[in-house]
Amino acid sequence: MTIAETPRFVRADGPDKVTGSGRYTADMQLAGMLAAKFKFAEIAHARIVRLDLSAARQIPGVLAVLTDDDVPDVRYGAGLADRTLFARDVVRYEGEVIAAVAATTKEAAQAAVDAIVVEYEPLPIVDDLEMATADGAVLVHPEWESYRASPGVPRDGNVASHSSVVRGDVDQGLREADIVVTSRYIADGSHAAPIEPRAVVAQWEGDKVTIWTSTQVPFTARDGVCQTLGLPTNRVRVIVPHMGGGFGGKCGFHYEAHIAALARTARRPVKLVFTRREEFIAPDRRRESMIVDLTTGVKSDGTIVARRGQALLDNGAYTADSSFFTQLAVMHLAGPYVIPNVDIGAELIYTNHQPSGSVRAPTAPQATWARESHTDEVAAALGMDPVEFRLLNAVETGKVGPSGQTYDEIGLTECIRKAVAASETAGPLADNEAVGVAIGWWPSIPSPSGAYVKLDGDGAGQIITGAQECGTGSVMTLRQLAADELGMDPEDFQIVHQDTAVAPYDTGATGSQTLFNNGRAVIAAAGQIAEQLRELAADRLEASMADIVLSEGAAHVAGSPDRNVPIAKLARIASYGELLIGHGSGTPPSAPEISGATCAGDAGMAAWVAPQFSCHAARIRIDRDTGVVRVVRVDAVHDSGTIINPIGALGQVEGGVVMGIGQAISEGTVYGADGRQRNPALLEYKLQTAADVPEIHTQFVEIFTPDAGPRGAKGIAEAPNVPTAAAIANAVTKLIGRPVTHLPMTPERVWEAMR
Amino acid sequence: MKELRIATSLDEALALVADGYQPVAGGTDLVVAARGGKSELPDHVVAIDRLTELSEIDSSDGGLQIGATVSHARLMRDESVIDGFTALADAAALVGSPATRNVGTIGGNVMNASPAMDTGSPLMVLDSEIVLRSVGGERRVPVSDFWTGPGQTVSQPDELCIAVAMPDLPSESGSAYVRLEYRRAMEIAVVGAGAVVSLNPEGDGRVVGVSLALTAVAPTIIAVGGIADALIGRAIDESALADVAALAGDQASPISDLRASDDYRRHTVGVMARRAVEAASRRAAGASIPVPVNRSVGIGAVT
Repeated sequence: MTIAETPRFVRADGPDKVTGSGRYTADMQLAGMLAAKFKFAEIAHARIVRLDLSAARQIPGVLAVLTDDDVPDVRYGAGLADRTLFARDVVRYEGEVIAAVAATTKEAAQAAVDAIVVEYEPLPIVDDLEMATADGAVLVHPEWESYRASPGVPRDGNVASHSSVVRGDVDQGLREADIVVTSRYIADGSHAAPIEPRAVVAQWEGDKVTIWTSTQVPFTARDGVCQTLGLPTNRVRVIVPHMGGGFGGKCGFHYEAHIAALARTARRPVKLVFTRREEFIAPDRRRESMIVDLTTGVKSDGTIVARRGQALLDNGAYTADSSFFTQLAVMHLAGPYVIPNVDIGAELIYTNHQPSGSVRAPTAPQATWARESHTDEVAAALGMDPVEFRLLNAVETGKVGPSGQTYDEIGLTECIRKAVAASETAGPLADNEAVGVAIGWWPSIPSPSGAYVKLDGDGAGQIITGAQECGTGSVMTLRQLAADELGMDPEDFQIVHQDTAVAPYDTGATGSQTLFNNGRAVIAAAGQIAEQLRELAADRLEASMADIVLSEGAAHVAGSPDRNVPIAKLARIASYGELLIGHGSGTPPSAPEISGATCAGDAGMAAWVAPQFSCHAARIRIDRDTGVVRVVRVDAVHDSGTIINPIGALGQVEGGVVMGIGQAISEGTVYGADGRQRNPALLEYKLQTAADVPEIHTQFVEIFTPDAGPRGAKGIAEAPNVPTAAAIANAVTKLIGRPVTHLPMTPERVWEAMR
Repeated sequence: MKELRIATSLDEALALVADGYQPVAGGTDLVVAARGGKSELPDHVVAIDRLTELSEIDSSDGGLQIGATVSHARLMRDESVIDGFTALADAAALVGSPATRNVGTIGGNVMNASPAMDTGSPLMVLDSEIVLRSVGGERRVPVSDFWTGPGQTVSQPDELCIAVAMPDLPSESGSAYVRLEYRRAMEIAVVGAGAVVSLNPEGDGRVVGVSLALTAVAPTIIAVGGIADALIGRAIDESALADVAALAGDQASPISDLRASDDYRRHTVGVMARRAVEAASRRAAGASIPVPVNRSVGIGAVT
């Protein structure tokens, strides 16, 4: 499908955003509102020997200065409670918050921050993933045995999490192989880099606080406030105004509690707006850097017999939500291939870097880049076409994958064939051009989710949902689902969302899950109203309820379209009696079983519900004199099950491809020897711009997937970010004759590889 | 308290500058540096962007005089610039984004004195003079004497840059500016090169005049010495271009920073130099290479 063929659909939040009438968190003004500023550590690892706030408190206009002494003694964290709101005795990365200030102007707040005196005793910096796991390494958290943790978290040295998948006998498999290829790949960390830096506003009324915040996960943010400030959920209300992008970087609980605490102390509303630099250095959501070692054995006919692999992931100073990343990394090092013998492990290593966390498809772009580059190396060693090699070894319907899961009907090989065929339509390659091909996979994630739907007396609909909108398309797709269920038009519905006091729970814009789970909830909620409407219509049309059909804004008797009553009329009748209110949640799909594999450190990510598959073919052009690479065309083919909202799905693929290009060739965090970021700015951290975007041609292999989201849909938001860098890498290798083993593949790294 | 005055006449602006006011036009350096925490906004600022006498492009006396507040957007589209001083249009078209180009000015660019400024090498090879005026009078400084280091010029605190001026090139001449860039908008030159080539009017393809300047490989924009000796009398062929690249690489003294290592800069500035000379010589021979060269040839071309 192309854009021209897709039905037009105006995003509910589109006109607001395009015309500038939309209001973001940073736009909010409340009576008496104060400005917040943080004192950051600005050193990667040190003991605090003196902290003097007296001068800061004397600055005119300063109404609150808070530190660890002023908040409850709570250590928090998703899988591992290693974090406190404010630094306690030791700072472990440069962006750690030492103190928070609220003042009548942001200049006064900054002056107070500048007046805070901190004296440090510097501690050795842990920043090398291999040295961090050596005997006698300096520990980032020496006292962490006292931390609360989920079962299975090792708390061993600097290893914050580990996972492995072991199946068959790898040693035997490698001995039986005709060719064995070993590779090492290193990926730098990168950033979500949303254009809107995060902002938080908090206002207390009595013992209740309302927090407006640019978060992708309002309920998680609320729960973080409740946990750290000791409040029940019904006294904390989190509302998300329009968001200017998240890309995973705004998943998690961040600074909502700091600002709520400031507002409570100052007895005034408080607003925090991050600078671009703060957005780069402080939040615990950076894409983790990674060292990957892979060894693969193949028979001379091209079949893979064994793979050994290891990934070291940079956790940074705190664990955020990254405990499960090791298992995801393992799955991506294995990849969607049939491999009878695997022994693949991953470790998440504490360092004095910014904490890593969910950025769109965590671990996948880097691990897939490494694995798919390695795959092309293996194919080259065999003298086999890399596409043929993939078609031979890829998982398919009925086959058993590397973790022991048997796949139902899937479309991976069709994705490969279609992507390659589409890329060939672009004409012959010039001598500085090549096409690289890579495949990817990504899970769909079942989770609880809820929604209400109501029709008021005039027949206008309202969807009240916990779903979040940071580009998820919920503003389009949820309305479409409710409208379809009720035989109405999507434009008949408005959405109230992103408000934890109003809507039922949803996980938020994370894990490609909004449509997958909240779609189910909205259909269930609308379904209850459909039943009510059928009952009302049956009564009025003197027909059996089972014969009532809802379509085109009316209820009619099946087979007799003339016997009908407008839904608006039924809504009016209902408004005098039993109101049209539906609520829904539904049962999430259950995880498939896996067999034959040992999964150490199992975080439930080895058996994938409704796995998504993809193949990207990237056509690039190289400047051989300078190593500059330009992506000129990407053919992206995705099996994401049924596509419910094509325009939204296309947007996801195009955005994911562009993000993937950045990760491939220009985006990478550069750390200095002092453990601090050297490029926390948009000039030196190079996102791709609109001028760099290539032609992107997207196709969907639509396979109805029974144990999945609504109508057989899988997720789509993260999958397009998975294989793009890998496809580009394989094209670069074709042109220069060897892989560039360091991500991002900057012009200078390409040039070095050519020399 | 900060003070911003909006000048309504050049005399008023000069008087304020003499009193220590910092001039601002587009604000793309001053404001961005303040926002980025590099340097605070000055306490006293005079806006000169409304002075129409500084916003003219004048070719009436031969050569070209470009007012200090002429924007990059105008430079890249102005026919007299494109026809006679093409390298400057090449450079202006690469600056920042459309928004930056609409407000950023040539005068601000010159006075900011960044060694990575795109318009610097073109101004150098086009033999430009910087026109400085103060309450006490006016002087012209050849651009080759103007920049003394990053952010440093020979201008005095009471002087305002009011224009840049450049002579017409001989017939059968062409100029070009090429830069190494990692993306196609919002970019700063990793390295760059500007060139002017004049060919023998008799049409034998031999060089009769040439100049070459390099961007972002030294504390200031630098002119490549010895380029005339190396090329005059020769045709621009592969061997001549190899000599250009070698000469440029030899005279560069680049640093290693986030954008590139010194080795990579030294290599790529040679590549840019040969491309600039090649494009300039093709233009001198009458070929049409649309502005900017970076979007017309090579992998950066708009397809």
